[in-house]
Amino acid sequence: MHNIWLIAKREYTERIKTKAFLIATILIPTLMGGGFFAVVSMAARTKTTSHIAVIAAQQQPAADLKQELENGKDSKMTVDILPASTPHAVLDREIAGKSLDGYLVITPATEEGARPTFDFTPKSSADIATSTAIQEALHTVLTREYLGEKGVSVSQTASLMSPVTLNIIGKHGEHGNSRTSFLVAYVLFFLMYMVVLLYGMNVARSIIEEKTSRVFEVLLATIKPDELLAGKILGVGAVGLTQVGIWMVVAGLLAARVGSASGIEISMTQIIFFIVYFVLGYALYSSVAAALGAMTNSEQELQQLNMFLMMPLFFCMLMLFPVINSPNSLLSRVVSQIPFCSPLLMDLRISISMPQPWEIALSIGLILVTIYAVLWVSSRIYRVGILMYGKKPNLPEILRWLKYS
Amino acid sequence: MAIVELNKIRKVYDTKVAVEGLSLTIEPGTMFGLLGPNGSGKTSSIRMMIGMTVPDSGTVSLFGKPFDRASLHRIGYLPEERGLYKKMKVLDQLVFLGQLHGLSESTARSRALVWCERIQITEAIEKKTEELSKGMQQKIQFIASLLHEPELIIMDEPFSGLDPVNAELLQNTLIELRRAGKTVLFSTHRMDQVEKMCDSIGLISRGKLVMTGAMREVKSRYPRNRVQVVFSGDESFLGHEEVAEAKNYAGIAEIKLHHEAGAQMVLAAAIARGTVISRFEVKEPTLEEIFIEQVRASFGDEEARGIIDA
Repeated sequence: MHNIWLIAKREYTERIKTKAFLIATILIPTLMGGGFFAVVSMAARTKTTSHIAVIAAQQQPAADLKQELENGKDSKMTVDILPASTPHAVLDREIAGKSLDGYLVITPATEEGARPTFDFTPKSSADIATSTAIQEALHTVLTREYLGEKGVSVSQTASLMSPVTLNIIGKHGEHGNSRTSFLVAYVLFFLMYMVVLLYGMNVARSIIEEKTSRVFEVLLATIKPDELLAGKILGVGAVGLTQVGIWMVVAGLLAARVGSASGIEISMTQIIFFIVYFVLGYALYSSVAAALGAMTNSEQELQQLNMFLMMPLFFCMLMLFPVINSPNSLLSRVVSQIPFCSPLLMDLRISISMPQPWEIALSIGLILVTIYAVLWVSSRIYRVGILMYGKKPNLPEILRWLKYS
Repeated sequence: MAIVELNKIRKVYDTKVAVEGLSLTIEPGTMFGLLGPNGSGKTSSIRMMIGMTVPDSGTVSLFGKPFDRASLHRIGYLPEERGLYKKMKVLDQLVFLGQLHGLSESTARSRALVWCERIQITEAIEKKTEELSKGMQQKIQFIASLLHEPELIIMDEPFSGLDPVNAELLQNTLIELRRAGKTVLFSTHRMDQVEKMCDSIGLISRGKLVMTGAMREVKSRYPRNRVQVVFSGDESFLGHEEVAEAKNYAGIAEIKLHHEAGAQMVLAAAIARGTVISRFEVKEPTLEEIFIEQVRASFGDEEARGIIDA
């Protein structure tokens, strides 16, 4: 135990001291936060701001349409109303000169009671946002006009056309927010995914480090291979946890200031289960990475094998949507018991809809057993593998090594 | 009580037999030289000695007891392939390795400083390992294997790659440790070092122990049948019936005799014929000659020429 502690301590202090750690700690959240901010502000700006012309013979519905497009819910466009006599060629020239984004021609209906015809000529047919906005605005305007003609008052029309609110009631009767719990589950899922991928490979690399620098021979003269591997996983793991911890604390502080406004709340249960499954999943994937490190002699060989680390994660990604859609279906219950998936998927189920307690207990038990088994196998591979270096082992050889003492 | 006792150990890697029925005894307080050509099984034997690999059959005893990991703290091991953490500072590295051998941090630190002084690398203490020359790294690792004051010191090729000054420094350090009552085992190709330093030797070839014993005993098994003569005048004594082979390099002759006793007869004959003898020396066989002869015998002459690099 003392040896494991010594190995872990060395691994931790040496890694924390590096510049790479400092840079990653600061840079990754900065980049991700920046990216998130950029996406949000871009989304805010998807309100179309096109400049169009409307050619209409009559004042109505063109004036209402102008009002709706300039001050509507989803658009902030500039609209010029032109008389029907305006030659189209002039407008075509303006479009070519980029001073106009398109023009709409309203032709009054020839029959009584029929709708007018609307012909829109856009600068680019790919400008879906503008045409959608015009289409919606026209629908609103025509409906309002029709209701007005039938003698419905303006205020009645407004209340009739306002959107409906659907309240989602949680288990304990309070107003829950399914979008929030979905969002939280999603964020936690990706946080775990990223850290496992990032630090799992670090464990593998740190195990290769002893092989390329040939330090293992001195180490193995006093300690056992499983102590070395366990120490490595703990040490590198602690570095990852430190980094995530720093991010979480900073995020928590920010959320305390900004979060109350956004209305996103994470329950205590969610946090506790996230931490439990995060640590377990991290330990499991690290031990798989340790096994990969034990099998290979160089970074290049490791690259070829890292799909074994990625594949279960990809599988979890695929299962993400079925589980979100119906968290208590048979499929969800089965895949969330697979040790390589349960840290991600069981945690997701807990966030969305609490599973049976025995399901949680079983999944934790399975993960622990798998970690032990993977570690046992990898320490065998490590011990035999390093003493026969220089050649990549094939599968039958690895199986044979497991029998060696 | 023998400090190391290997009893018929055998190790097979896949199809290659690395060590075959090796038995070896090392007495406490001796300097033991483990000799053998490349790939003869020296490193494999040492690894089994310290439990890094387990023999397929046979037993290993250390300090008079069957092998037990607890006794590893009493052993200092310098592997053939040196390895240190490149990015770590030298002192941190020594403290870490000392702690792994069961020392407290403060003891490890103070001993590391004393040893750096003794081996003359104090200027390296604050540097990172990757900034040091290979020879200096080797000295650091030499220290690392001695920090916990082991009773048994096992070194695989400790002097290879060192300049003569540093090689001598480390040799003298080992001799001092042996004088202080420690047991030292080292492997090497350099016969002159073994001849100068060791009390006992073991010669391994093709995974088998070809020869072992105290240095004097080993040498005495070989006839003292070589004579070097510096002379002037009549050289007809070189044709004496006791002489098996003679080479005459203008006044300096190298003679190989049929029997050890023949030396006196040849000398008497030379004097009787009026040859002026300025030196007449009966030479011991060198360890190198014994080594080459033994290895050749184990391989067959033809094969040996390409394999021995002694």
